[in-house]
Amino acid sequence: MSEIYEKKLLDKFSDALIEGFAKFLDKVRPGWYKKNKARVDEWKLMAYALNRSPPGLIGLALVIVFIVLAIVGPYIAPFNYDTPLTAFDRDAYLAPPGTVITIPNTTAAKFLGVRSGNYTLLLGSDDYGRDLFSRILYGARTSLIVAIMVMLVGPWIGILIGLVAGYYGGKIDEILMRFTDIFLAFPGLILAIAFSAVLPPRIQYFLNANPAVRQFFLSLFSLKVQHAGSMAYLVSVIIALWIVWWPGYARLVRGLVLSARENLYVEAARALGVPTRWILLRHITPNIIGPILVYLTLDFGGVILTEAGLSFLGVGAVPPIADWGRIINDGSQYFPNSWWLVFYPGLMILLTVLGFNLIGDTLRDILDPKTRRSIEFKLKKKKQKGEKNEV
Amino acid sequence: MKSEHLPIIEVKDLYVNFYTYAGVVKAIDGVSFTIYRGETYCLVGETGCGKSVTAKSLTKLIRPPGRIEKGQVLYYREPGKEPIDLLGLSEEELRRIRGAEISYIFQDPSASLDPLYNIGYQISETMYDHGLISSIKEGFLKAVDILKSVLMPDPETRVKNYPHELSGGMKQRAVIGISLSNNPRLVIADEPTTALDATVQDQIMDLLKKLKKEKNLTVLLITHNMGLVADMCDRVAVMYAGRIVEEADIYELFKNPLHPYTKALLKAVPNPVKKIDKLESIPGTVPNLIYPPPGCRFHPRCQYAMEKCKSERPPEIWVSSTHRVSCWLYS
Repeated sequence: MSEIYEKKLLDKFSDALIEGFAKFLDKVRPGWYKKNKARVDEWKLMAYALNRSPPGLIGLALVIVFIVLAIVGPYIAPFNYDTPLTAFDRDAYLAPPGTVITIPNTTAAKFLGVRSGNYTLLLGSDDYGRDLFSRILYGARTSLIVAIMVMLVGPWIGILIGLVAGYYGGKIDEILMRFTDIFLAFPGLILAIAFSAVLPPRIQYFLNANPAVRQFFLSLFSLKVQHAGSMAYLVSVIIALWIVWWPGYARLVRGLVLSARENLYVEAARALGVPTRWILLRHITPNIIGPILVYLTLDFGGVILTEAGLSFLGVGAVPPIADWGRIINDGSQYFPNSWWLVFYPGLMILLTVLGFNLIGDTLRDILDPKTRRSIEFKLKKKKQKGEKNEV
Repeated sequence: MKSEHLPIIEVKDLYVNFYTYAGVVKAIDGVSFTIYRGETYCLVGETGCGKSVTAKSLTKLIRPPGRIEKGQVLYYREPGKEPIDLLGLSEEELRRIRGAEISYIFQDPSASLDPLYNIGYQISETMYDHGLISSIKEGFLKAVDILKSVLMPDPETRVKNYPHELSGGMKQRAVIGISLSNNPRLVIADEPTTALDATVQDQIMDLLKKLKKEKNLTVLLITHNMGLVADMCDRVAVMYAGRIVEEADIYELFKNPLHPYTKALLKAVPNPVKKIDKLESIPGTVPNLIYPPPGCRFHPRCQYAMEKCKSERPPEIWVSSTHRVSCWLYS
């Protein structure tokens, strides 16, 4: 099937990747490849469509870079997120990018876990002499974890409410949607500020009472034990965003379900005695998953932006936790002389959110069979023309 | 096969309204009929007269804004024993009956199959949900047999096909297979051949006849195709604007139609019993059921309309033991 397409180098690469993945699945579950040949071909076609969309590729690259940074960042960072370099070298105070500092071989350095020698501060440092490059790497981890945690819960509340409201209709729909309207009436950011301002003491208490949970979050955020108190603020942001993040999804999914449930196969399933939960799970959800997936991807950037915004406003991450919004907030008082404290974290936020938006847009084109077919059709035509010319 | 005195479904005085923004649509207005075991009962009428709504009401498939206002649907599970009122059952109890005992075949086969699953899965699903099989895998083996019984060519391959890989006729065979997979007692076929072309229509109707004989089914056939009625049915009810205007034995109806609407309807289609020179259309249009005409709902289009027809609802008159008509002409 895929032979009729003109292949670029990138296509061959994506083919190899998908083949490899399919072979791996085949090894785990023998016979999988033979059964799902059509599905693998479908994946390849999706990859071709992606390969021909420059914005999509840029978005993918940005997102991959962000995720890799977030995962390995804390391990490759030259310094810890809270190491005050001013203790070793006066030059580290608000040092501009490229400053070289010297760490002497002292007990203090050993205590702080810093090896002696010369270091170049790539992106400069802040007023405590903390290395901005290291803090941005740690900040990527913070953003990713918050975004994932929010996305794992928030949207699904909305999706569930939307499914139920859309499918049952009538009074249940009215009640659930008016409830959603109440949440939509408040500006989400204001509500999130309120919640993240109120929650921290309780979260701190909870984390102290449950050391296992505390340890889990500490290792997720890659934070030191003594900063568990500050981490409670991040956890509150996550919970606050759960509370405000679902209404949009409830509306979206309800709308999709309203049109999906009018399909005759839903009616037929009902008439043949398929239980409601299975109708929702097997016949409605899979048929509306495309737009939900696109919205989720687009929203990933939104969560990162909102979290940074909350931290910038001072209700999210608290020092010394490394967080892009917080770094901008702390650095803004030295702006514009120490521009790097605002510019680099801002750039990171911009690129990450841009990446997620671009990939979400491309995903919409790829997941919608109509637009993808048109992309594939264009590819086929080119090949046929080429053959004619050769003859 | 026909057992005249053993009813399977008895609909009594059914009223269904739809609460729309434009107003209350009185879609079904006092419909009563009885279907006997082993027969093929037909509901005939033009589009929008309430045939499908009646069929859906039998197992409470009406969704909001529609509501069943009044009435009883008595279901005789075992012949001669106490009936159950389907409209009084809970959703879960109804679910067990839907598909397992009372099954549906819908109009458009390409829309009644979920495009995301293959035929085998969709046949297995209903069997699984009614506890006939313990796993979907087991269902695939049974699905092959079911597809064989509905005369699907090459069932071993077709069972793994997706709906878009099948032709319209094959899809309808698959849909019939799904709806008969649980060995129901009553099958409600809601215009099963409307979306198919004429030759395939004939094949599907032959198949339905064959299955009906094999499995001893009772069939409620909904259609607007008089040819189909003549071909399939034992008894016919003619519906107009949410009411049954005439009910009769199939031969009786074609030979001796009493209600002016039935007469006009039979003049509008080629009659298999009587020869008609010229087909005639019925003057006027179907009434708006938000503001239905008072009295007999057919009176604005009726050439025999009297003063009485405009104000009073005509009573049900039994002309013979198998023939009833709602018209003032015969009182």
